[in-house]
Amino acid sequence: MGAWWAPALALSGIALAGALEAERSDAHRQVFFNVQQPWAVYLFLGALVGLLVYGIGRHASLWALGRPAPGLASEIPHRLLNALRLGLAQDKVRRDRYAGIMHWCLFSSIVVLTAVTAQVALDDDTALDFLHGRYYLFFSFYGDLFGLVGLVGVGMALYRRYFDSYRRIRWDERLEDHLIIAGLGLILVSGFVVEALRIEVTELAQHPAWAPWSFVSFALAKVLHLFALSEGQLLGTHTLVWWGHVVLAFGWLGLIAFTRLDHIFFAPVNAFLLRTDAPGRLAAIEQIEQREVFGVGQIQDFTWKQLFELDACVRCGRCTAVCPANLAGQPLSPMQLIQDLKAHLARVGPALQRAGHEGGDVRSVSPVAMVGEVVADEALWACRTCGACVQECPVMIEHVPTIVDMRRYLVMDEARIPVPARQALEHMESRGHPWRGTTLQRTSWMEGLGEVPIFDGSQQYLYWVGCAGSLVERNLPITRSVFRLLRASGASFGVLGQEETCSGDPARRLGNEYLYQVLARQLIETFQSKRVQRVITNCPHCFNTFKNEYPQFDGRFEVLHHTEFLARAVQDGTLKPQHRLDESLTYHDSCYLGRMNGQYDAPRQIIEFIPGLHLTEMRRSRSNGLCCGAGGGNMWLEEAGERRVNHVRTEEAVATGAGAVISNCPFCIQMFEDGIPAVQPEQAGRMRAFDVAELLERAVLGPAGESAR
Amino acid sequence: MHFVVCAKQIPDPETPPSAFRVDEAKKEVIPPQGIAPVLSQFDGIAAEAALRIKEQTSGTRITVISLGQERARDAIKQVLAMGADEGVLLDDATFQGGDSYTTARTLAAAIRKLGDVDAVFCGRQAADWDMGQVGLGIAELLGWPCAIIASSVQCAEGKLTVKRVLADGFETVRVPLPAVVTVSNELGEPRYPKLQQIMQAARKTVRSMTPAELALDPSTVGAAGARLKLERLFVPVAGGDCEFMPGDTPQAQAVALAKTLRAARIL
Repeated sequence: MGAWWAPALALSGIALAGALEAERSDAHRQVFFNVQQPWAVYLFLGALVGLLVYGIGRHASLWALGRPAPGLASEIPHRLLNALRLGLAQDKVRRDRYAGIMHWCLFSSIVVLTAVTAQVALDDDTALDFLHGRYYLFFSFYGDLFGLVGLVGVGMALYRRYFDSYRRIRWDERLEDHLIIAGLGLILVSGFVVEALRIEVTELAQHPAWAPWSFVSFALAKVLHLFALSEGQLLGTHTLVWWGHVVLAFGWLGLIAFTRLDHIFFAPVNAFLLRTDAPGRLAAIEQIEQREVFGVGQIQDFTWKQLFELDACVRCGRCTAVCPANLAGQPLSPMQLIQDLKAHLARVGPALQRAGHEGGDVRSVSPVAMVGEVVADEALWACRTCGACVQECPVMIEHVPTIVDMRRYLVMDEARIPVPARQALEHMESRGHPWRGTTLQRTSWMEGLGEVPIFDGSQQYLYWVGCAGSLVERNLPITRSVFRLLRASGASFGVLGQEETCSGDPARRLGNEYLYQVLARQLIETFQSKRVQRVITNCPHCFNTFKNEYPQFDGRFEVLHHTEFLARAVQDGTLKPQHRLDESLTYHDSCYLGRMNGQYDAPRQIIEFIPGLHLTEMRRSRSNGLCCGAGGGNMWLEEAGERRVNHVRTEEAVATGAGAVISNCPFCIQMFEDGIPAVQPEQAGRMRAFDVAELLERAVLGPAGESAR
Repeated sequence: MHFVVCAKQIPDPETPPSAFRVDEAKKEVIPPQGIAPVLSQFDGIAAEAALRIKEQTSGTRITVISLGQERARDAIKQVLAMGADEGVLLDDATFQGGDSYTTARTLAAAIRKLGDVDAVFCGRQAADWDMGQVGLGIAELLGWPCAIIASSVQCAEGKLTVKRVLADGFETVRVPLPAVVTVSNELGEPRYPKLQQIMQAARKTVRSMTPAELALDPSTVGAAGARLKLERLFVPVAGGDCEFMPGDTPQAQAVALAKTLRAARIL
């Protein structure tokens, strides 16, 4: 449960103890005091239920347009836990502290006050009769407490929306946002006023011991008392405000059916539907050879779960606020993308339903193409698949698979691909690697290293160098460092040399699932024929696809990123970092080792073990780390927009004042190597970019190891 | 209409220099390990030119012809995936080892055999030997007009309008059909096939034609009929020499540099 329940629970506990200690009393009140025809409330309740059923049913009929979403009925306990943890306790909402406190105030207030109202109804209209005596006093206390908590939340919301310079919640501001917050504030205030009027008439003089338990209303009643109104005036006002309160409350709940308040229901459900497998895994297209449509080009080609997610969006903008493309002024806003798809669904959905789901072509219904017009190609290509949006989303929307589904449509169905990305794909297809124009061979890095063992099945580990590690000049020293460290650790390992091919990862991220499957199956066959069981990779992208995606094609291997292997070797003493380095560093988490695979510690442990290093974290680090800009195939795309993502990230690295930026990914290193001269035009004192392995090699093998390069 | 695209499979021009080796005795390129041959880039662009016309002219068929070994089937499949309709592979052993003349002769015979061809599209040159002869040879042997080094090709009223790349500009010519066009990279990138097309390409037919079918005397094609003799094949050794200019001051060094360049007839 959220940690912020604690103060309220503690206060309530104290009050409960106080109530139990109180003299056995006959405290009570007349539930529908001074109200004629209170049964009319049930008319409102009936209308509300009808409205909610209608509203949600209308949404549900649109979700039903989607394809089946397999696997959602599995791992129920895990899913229920997610619904509790992410839905009820709102773990993700709390990632923004201010918004987390505000939301908790509103949420708990609404939950508790709904319970308060329900108890009133039960007490009055059923055989149950419990609102009297000590419980009544306690009931009065927590009703007021959570009313006050709610007002604090409303105050915080009002401040952020109208007085703070906070931007993201105003990116797509609508009338409903004002109505929701103003409505809630009025409901809470009118509730206190009604209570205060009743107290002044029935308790202040008559039962002075009861009244203070409703501490807010009691204070308000004391203030009202100063005006010395007649009882008739008080009762008249009470009736008026009471009905106002009831109408407002039901009206506000009715907003659930039409506004983003529907997240009250959709967010916990979406938490239940959230994937339970690795976040770095993209779904495989089964039996791709037999299909006629490969990606998602029309709204009904999404799964119903993806359509459901669109409705869960509350336009909070957290996804867009952390999106590396958006931060660099590039044409992608994950929030806008989800909202645009939602609007598109609402626009074409009903006509689609009429056209009949079977054979219904959305183009005959909608004059605009979903991919290309509703969602621009540029937005889809700007995505780094870094997963920051997915991680931040408080209602558990998974933007990345949705974006990749549309990329699949662009690439495989429409063949509409920016030229550099297309060339990378063609290279992977015909040459087995994406690096156009490289003059290196897969064995070039081996020069000067002495004998390099070729993997033949007898060794324990396959050291997988990868295309970036062998065919891009800058990464060769990293490959050599890892190799020398593996050799120095005494590990039994071998490499594939010329037999390495592309793991397929860039093809999958760029949307060419077919090419990915061809490359992956081919490589799995190679691994299996060579009896590979354990793989150490240089590159977090290969690492992620081997570990999380190859099992989709029955390729099951134990996969380690080199930082994981090296951290273990340092910990168990097989590698001894004995040479002092005296460097000030900052560390950059690559998305595919960090966010996608949760490995934040191994690289930092290595840095800690090296004597003389001083690590300063960047403003965004660990799970908040910002992508270097190369993810999602953007290594091979032209960046469109105000800035380059790697310049933004390099600035953050430079701002730490460190002399070097350290990473674990050949793509990140290249992006920093490109970004540093742009951010620091002066050559003197310029930051340098290293892989963790390069540092460790210097610390373990000393300057001699370095000069052997 | 019926177009023919001539497609050649060549050693990958992106082969890293360190992996490129020749057998000087046999006068052959040694295929580098793990680097597959590819479709000559200009031929992909020739296919693109034909496909652009096909898109605008209904009832147009495209046949892709390749002279090469069995593995040249991959080059044919690539053009079929782009949108060509059928393939012809001239993989008979007697066709192999020839020169530009025998290649043009064999391709011309195959085009004649197809019968109803309206236009032939070739790359401006094969990206391996860079001879640029075959397209012209086919035109000559068929007695058709030929427009070379095209940057755009349009078709209307039984004529091709061809914009040609010149050293100092462009020239637009109109040729009656049937005709041969050789296409240059200025035309634009060849299209990336849709996956559906790649799947369909696997089902399209690629047939072989023998010398007998083409009514060609085996002694006039392939190595037997070649008129061009390769004298020597070798990888040139690029060398550099560094000479420091004498002189105590930058001015003196500049004078020495100017004199050296003058002596080498560079200035």
